[in-house]
Amino acid sequence: MSQASTLTLPPLGLAARRTRVMGVVRRDFAALRRSPVRVFEIFFWPSVELVLWGFMTLFLRAQRVPFAVTFLLGAVLLWQVLQKASNEISIAFLEDIWSRNLLNVQVSPLSSAEYLAGLVLFSLGKVVFALAVMAALALGLYGFGVTTIGVGLVPFMGVLLVLGWSLGLVGIAAVLRFGENAQVIAWSLVFMVQPLAGIFYPVSVLPAPLRAVSEFLPASHVFEGMRTVLSGGPVPWDRLAWAAGLDVVYLAATVGLFAWALTYARRHGKLSRFGE
Amino acid sequence: MAILRASHLVKRFGPVTAVRDVSLTVGEGEIVGLLGPNGAGKSTTLHMLLGLITPDAGSVELFGMELARHRTEALSRLNFAASYVDLPGVLRVGEVLDAFARLYALRRPRERVAELVELFELGPFVKRRVMALSSGQRTRVQLAKALLNAPRLLVLDEPTANLDPDAGDRIRGLLTRVAAENGSAMLITSHNMREVERMCDRVHFLSGGVIVAAGSAAELAGHYGAEDLEEVFLKVARG
Ligand SMILES: Nc1ncnc2c1ncn2[C@@H]1O[C@H](COP(=O)(O)OP(=O)(O)OP(=O)(O)O)[C@@H](O)[C@H]1O
Ligand SMILES: [Mg+2]
Repeated sequence: MSQASTLTLPPLGLAARRTRVMGVVRRDFAALRRSPVRVFEIFFWPSVELVLWGFMTLFLRAQRVPFAVTFLLGAVLLWQVLQKASNEISIAFLEDIWSRNLLNVQVSPLSSAEYLAGLVLFSLGKVVFALAVMAALALGLYGFGVTTIGVGLVPFMGVLLVLGWSLGLVGIAAVLRFGENAQVIAWSLVFMVQPLAGIFYPVSVLPAPLRAVSEFLPASHVFEGMRTVLSGGPVPWDRLAWAAGLDVVYLAATVGLFAWALTYARRHGKLSRFGE
Repeated sequence: MAILRASHLVKRFGPVTAVRDVSLTVGEGEIVGLLGPNGAGKSTTLHMLLGLITPDAGSVELFGMELARHRTEALSRLNFAASYVDLPGVLRVGEVLDAFARLYALRRPRERVAELVELFELGPFVKRRVMALSSGQRTRVQLAKALLNAPRLLVLDEPTANLDPDAGDRIRGLLTRVAAENGSAMLITSHNMREVERMCDRVHFLSGGVIVAAGSAAELAGHYGAEDLEEVFLKVARG
């Protein structure tokens, strides 16, 4: 019996898969610990946005604008979920390119699915942490408790997280297909969603064609739903179900896109050409 | 028995044919060198064997399994280091090795990392960040990473390119010893002919994407009427 078989877990077994996924999480966590600037960033930008929109809220309240008050704070919080989920996983992938470590990862037994699972898990941790900080600030500074969103909060966030991961995957696929210059897609895709998702205003203000597009954006149903709930209505489960269905379709499509881009990169010898 | 069997590999990048027709085998515990001038197609060949590049034609069989269909199993039994890849610079040496120990799903990651730290004399660097190390020290960390899973096949692309002669010599000695202990086979590229003479049981000469000569260093020298591998190289490379 060779030494290797006693040294390693059976590579296709569940224990090995779990070990590899957690390896990715541990590594990214260690990297975060070693980068104080990154730790700082996790709550810096969300806090800045929260404070900004918090004062906006105070101003509108002083002007006696109806509704506005809590909508904006809820919107900022949920928007951060979407933005973070999207950016964190593409950044984690780009880190491997920047540090010229991608080939080491690619020749390890870590499968793409395991790699992505690791990135998703780690990004989830960061999102939850950032959100907790923001929620505390919202309560402390403006007396806005996220729990006023009620039981809808968890599914709202779930829908946004999954959409964010799909967008992140598109960013990664773009880098694999078009090279490092496509990084900008990884950063900015989520901002293209922003105006269409009716984050700070109802989608009813959009012109008809764009409104039709927003029907197919899971995020727009979340933000509409949030406004319904905050103005005293029930959680619109039918809307959420539709949004969750869209999520599943988009996630499947973007996983497929990622797989295709990886195949392309391997076929054209791109993996060893990043960072040059 | 061959643990690596590559047959008629072909790879084109647009108008450039990087690998025209390469077949090679590596036997259990064997140390095989892949030589050739810059641009001969050595790295491209290695990358096809590692699944980093998909061949246009030909096949790669590792440990009796087709690489394309048994990626995870094949990759868990081999490892790779190259002068042009790096490890995450922000991490400490110990953290990097720990992370890779888990990516290779080792049963006892901590113990194994400690063994390799000892073997490569990395003790003083365990708590230092990779980016703070000299390139020679980084090479040692990379090789430690490459031996974590006691690979049955170790693929090395110019592993000693960044080392001074003394460090290079010690690393060569260490690699040869560890490979013998583990029974690891090695496939190595290098532009250092003395290194190849010293380490390799067999050598393949690659030029313009085809293997133009193969055999032990002594056989090749005899065949080309040359003093040593360096002279063989010059004769082969200059046609
Ligand atoms: N990913 C790629 N995309 C485009 N062309 C490539 C790619 N990789 C290699 N080539 C080309 O293929 C040929 C072989 O390159 P390769 O890197 O395999 O050579 P090598 O033998 O490793 O050379 P060296 O000794 O300089 O490392 C070269 O002409 C190179 O320009
Ligand atoms: Mg090369």
